[in-house]
Amino acid sequence: MTTPTAVPATGNRAGTARRRGNRWLTQVGWRHLVAVLGVLFSLFPIVFVLSAALNPLGTLSSTELVPTAGVTFGNFGELFQRTAFAHWFLNSLLIAGVASFASIFLSALAAYAFSRMRFRGRRVGLLSLLLIQMFPQFLAIVAIFLIFATVTDLWPGIGFNTPWGLLLLYMGGALGVNTWLMKGFFDTLPRELDESATMDGASHAQVFFRIMLPLVAPILAVTGLLAFIGTINEFLMANVFLTSTNSKTLAVGMYGMLQGNERNANFGIFAAATLLTAIPTVLVFQFLQRYIVSGLTAGAVKG
Amino acid sequence: MRIRTAGVVAVLGLALAASGCGGSDSDKPAAKESAKAAGGKLVIWADDKRAAALKPFADEFGKENGVTVEVQAVSKDLQTNFVTASQQGSGPDVVVGAHDWIGNMVQNGAIDPVQLAAEQKSAFNETAIKAVTFNGQLYGVPYATENVALLRNTALAPEAPKTIEELVQTGKKLKAQKKVQEILCLQAGQNGDAYHVYPLYASGGGYLFGTTANGDYDPKDLGVGKPESIAAFQKIAKLGEKGDGALKRSITGENSIATFTGKKCAFLVSGPWAVADAKKANIAYDISPVPGFAGGKEAAPFVGVQAFYVAAKGKNKALAQEFVTNYVTKPELAVALYRAEPRPPALTAAFDQVKSEDPDLAKWLEAGKNGQVLPAIPAMAAIWDPFGKAEAAVIGGADPAKTITAAGKTIAGQIK
Amino acid sequence: MSTSLSGSGPAQQAPGRGPVRRGLPRTSRTARNHAPITATGLAVKVVLLGLVAGIAIWAAFPLVAAEHWVGLGILAATTAGLGYLYLGRRHIPAKYLVPGTIFLIAFQVFPVLYTASTAFTNFGDGHRGSKDDAIVAIQTSSVKQVPGSAQYSLSIATQGDPTTGALVFLLGDPKTKEVFAGDAGGLRRLDPGQVESSSLTGKVTAADGYTVLNIGQASVRSKEITDLVVPTAGGAIRSNGLTRAYEGRAVRAYDAGCDCVKDSETGRTWTADAQAGAFVAADGERLTQGWKVNVGLQNFSRVLTDDTISGPFLGTLVWNFAFAIASTGGTFLLGMLIALALHSPRMRGSNLYRVLLILPYAMPSFAMLLVWRDLFNTDFGLVNNLFGLGVDWFGGSWTARFAVILVQLWLGYPYMFLVTTGALQAIPRELTEATSVDGASPWQSFRAVTLPLLLVALSPLLISSFAYNFNNFNAIYLTTEGAPFPADNPTNGATDLLITYTYRLAFGAQGAEFGFAAAISLLIFTIVAVVSAVSFRRTRKQEEVYS
Repeated sequence: MTTPTAVPATGNRAGTARRRGNRWLTQVGWRHLVAVLGVLFSLFPIVFVLSAALNPLGTLSSTELVPTAGVTFGNFGELFQRTAFAHWFLNSLLIAGVASFASIFLSALAAYAFSRMRFRGRRVGLLSLLLIQMFPQFLAIVAIFLIFATVTDLWPGIGFNTPWGLLLLYMGGALGVNTWLMKGFFDTLPRELDESATMDGASHAQVFFRIMLPLVAPILAVTGLLAFIGTINEFLMANVFLTSTNSKTLAVGMYGMLQGNERNANFGIFAAATLLTAIPTVLVFQFLQRYIVSGLTAGAVKG
Repeated sequence: MRIRTAGVVAVLGLALAASGCGGSDSDKPAAKESAKAAGGKLVIWADDKRAAALKPFADEFGKENGVTVEVQAVSKDLQTNFVTASQQGSGPDVVVGAHDWIGNMVQNGAIDPVQLAAEQKSAFNETAIKAVTFNGQLYGVPYATENVALLRNTALAPEAPKTIEELVQTGKKLKAQKKVQEILCLQAGQNGDAYHVYPLYASGGGYLFGTTANGDYDPKDLGVGKPESIAAFQKIAKLGEKGDGALKRSITGENSIATFTGKKCAFLVSGPWAVADAKKANIAYDISPVPGFAGGKEAAPFVGVQAFYVAAKGKNKALAQEFVTNYVTKPELAVALYRAEPRPPALTAAFDQVKSEDPDLAKWLEAGKNGQVLPAIPAMAAIWDPFGKAEAAVIGGADPAKTITAAGKTIAGQIK
Repeated sequence: MSTSLSGSGPAQQAPGRGPVRRGLPRTSRTARNHAPITATGLAVKVVLLGLVAGIAIWAAFPLVAAEHWVGLGILAATTAGLGYLYLGRRHIPAKYLVPGTIFLIAFQVFPVLYTASTAFTNFGDGHRGSKDDAIVAIQTSSVKQVPGSAQYSLSIATQGDPTTGALVFLLGDPKTKEVFAGDAGGLRRLDPGQVESSSLTGKVTAADGYTVLNIGQASVRSKEITDLVVPTAGGAIRSNGLTRAYEGRAVRAYDAGCDCVKDSETGRTWTADAQAGAFVAADGERLTQGWKVNVGLQNFSRVLTDDTISGPFLGTLVWNFAFAIASTGGTFLLGMLIALALHSPRMRGSNLYRVLLILPYAMPSFAMLLVWRDLFNTDFGLVNNLFGLGVDWFGGSWTARFAVILVQLWLGYPYMFLVTTGALQAIPRELTEATSVDGASPWQSFRAVTLPLLLVALSPLLISSFAYNFNNFNAIYLTTEGAPFPADNPTNGATDLLITYTYRLAFGAQGAEFGFAAAISLLIFTIVAVVSAVSFRRTRKQEEVYS
């Protein structure tokens, strides 16, 4: 080791001699403390949303953390009765699922090139990827209308009010922050891995699919989740794109609940919808969690 | 590791396939429908609430005439999206919205005038027709009017206050008796709410725009920043947080109705949309005009009108005109839209029909009797934001003269 | 163990990296060229390229039908390019970059360039379309019913086939009970004996020699019906829907000779002003319908010279930087702290913790921003009630700023937590274990090993997170909307970011001013781009050290 030589080698020895409980506290206990505090911070507003969802009056009265007017699931029932919530839910799952999957794939391809290959325009390309994201999207809407008005005329199957058109649009953002994220991770993988594979006669595609991708499974899972959440919450473009009731996504449909001349929206139903929206994300996270946590260590040993 | 990755792919793929099937199932009926109808297609854009109410009638219109009618809800920025989409030829044939959009839609060439026969016109409430008339042309077919009024909890305040001072007095007494927490629920919020505070502003003597000789609003005669407006805001300041505490920035659009239905305030300034909540919460309520300042002018609320418009660049304009001028003008539709959303119908015949079953309607109309039609000129767009902020600042205790003069300057700078 | 350690210890490679880099691609390319083409690889390639070709053919038909030759050319070139790229053995980086780049160009680069180009125009409400559009709008909106003229009942009819035959208006006058046939040639009275009509409305139901269309049939030919104008002495008869017609006259008409619009009732004229993109009368009155024209650098000079815009600009810029840095830094520190806390094999229940911690990120952010706004309400908000405070959160500059950053922290830290958790996995445990064997305290090993490695993976992300937060419109717009505002300036509030400030300036006035908004955005964009590019240069060193 070259860098950590400056670390003093004494000092900490004494700590091992301390009492067991004390040691638990310094090694594990603080972790629980931090985690519990974090959870409390996370949950505090969510409990409020939960209470609003269960409040039969369905109004927003911020002073009550615990519903005093009794608990009811009426808001959930009304949600499915009065709105096309089930449709929105499926649309969101479809769009977010396909979009996150496809964009992660496109992104990983590009990240591999940016990390492992050296070509002219590489740094400029990376920087432009970042810069282009900084342009305010609400201004670009006019241009998006322009493009998709033409597309809808020519190919109605991928035009306005179709999930496919929206998917295409989302693919435009596939190369972006996530590419950076993945490139960063590709950078941390030792080059010897793919170099030795190349020496063994593997093609660049084989190196990418067989060696690199499995090794970055945790980050694929993380970026996949991020893309999933990003798409399911995306509102600005989807609102322009999907106007017929049954084609809407959750974010668009839910925003509609707050709109109109109902200057006081039915917050109870909205809160119920908010809670249900979180479910797919939590499930996807639950499913991906083991890849996020254990992926690389398992892969590295075999690799 | 590889096997696991393959597993992820497979499961995700399955999930997608499953949701994909769900999606395509739901698409199919729609596709079939449009294939079946031999006639043209009419697309209507409205906000979510109205789209839902309109759907059955649109379907009926379609069935009667052998055409396809699609009602689509645009959740946010309906007007902006309509104008943008229209410009590029991907807009709807008919749009439903408030009459104060007319100025902007006309300057963008997004809507066409509608031609109503004299006997059709005379069937409407006069104010409603006046509201949708812009530059001497009729631009929309109105179907409902709306204005704010004072709702009071009759269990707490049996008598309708004649002046705002009387209201404050009653409110303070109730507050001292711990029966309520707030004197008055009039939504202001951190950045103000010009729409709800306007009756008080008008009662204090302020105005927004002067009128030209023929009765149209004149954007060159801006009332904000004039001495009358300062006087009005000085009166409003007395009701504010540093004065009586009847107006508060903490009362917002999200909580004002909830506070009233939660019996935490006896008076609420709101519109017909608040009634459903009050009924749901079993509040004994009554509706009366918003009271003005003692010795001041009448507290005139804004009168808004909801209307149907024919898009100038719609693909099926003839059908759109047919729908708007001949179908929307039928009392049956107006009555049905009223049932979906209880606000006074603009068609006199429809109003008379539902008046007997809903005593509130006449009260809303009475409260709006002195009201002023919300200006539809494009310059109005420049008013809302600075005016609201000035209101919030004054309620919070800022100097009215300085604040309103600054707001007037900002607004004047934004009007071309 | 030692080989594994050196293999996965990127820090060790630092000295060797530089020299090797330049020669590397060449050596690896030769190696790759020798790599055998496997059967599966070939099959996948063929299937995918076939798919591309299939899609291209599918997309080509409508283009041909619409005679959209430029579009067809682009399609053909793209498809050919893809075929050339993937069938050949060269341009390996491009093979990986092209798929995403195609979408990027179509749906991000093009819109941005298009928007940027509007910065040099007066594009906005009242100036959206072309001059021709404006003229059409002015003329159609001036059509008035001829005073005293009849309201006709209308039946749409054709001579011959309902779908292709020439259209005729069959018009019934409800008062005189006369029936006319009208087309572009004018009106002809029909003999009552040839016509059947409803006694109630006078609407013609059948006529000899004509096929009367029902509404469904007529609606298919909507455009022709709207365009059909029957000339009369006083004006022209136009359809009003499919069952009524009226005699109307366009009061205003465009005259190409004087390039002006004339009003035949009042005699006023409005002359086209190519600089303003509007018809202007002699006394300065403008017609509301204008058109889009180039205004050069006018939008930019307005930003720089208008005091109300340039005055608070610097203060807003400073707060904007502070907000972006605090949001990014805060979420990163908190997210990393929690990720580190959970990153231990001895930690029980970490799965459950993780799920609960991710919840803020799983909820729709616009909904939660609205909820947070309520939580900070002075009298009704949970924050004040829970802690027994009476703080006017959004009323004071510093409390409002603190509040929006706190909300950003809540919304954003799960993201950093997730990413850091992923990144921590990538750091071989051997490295940290090695340092603790060497006797380093956890803090020291964190400083010396974990943090630098984390930063390699995450510093690009921090830059992009900074850029995102710099323009985080919703964070402000859905909470404070820029409040509190000084009483004497309602355009610039204490929590305003440049983007929300821009939005208010460009869209709060008399209609949206897209051109002006684009100009301000370009200026902001330049600032952020410079800052990001400079920080990006710094990452080059890291990349060279650790990659």
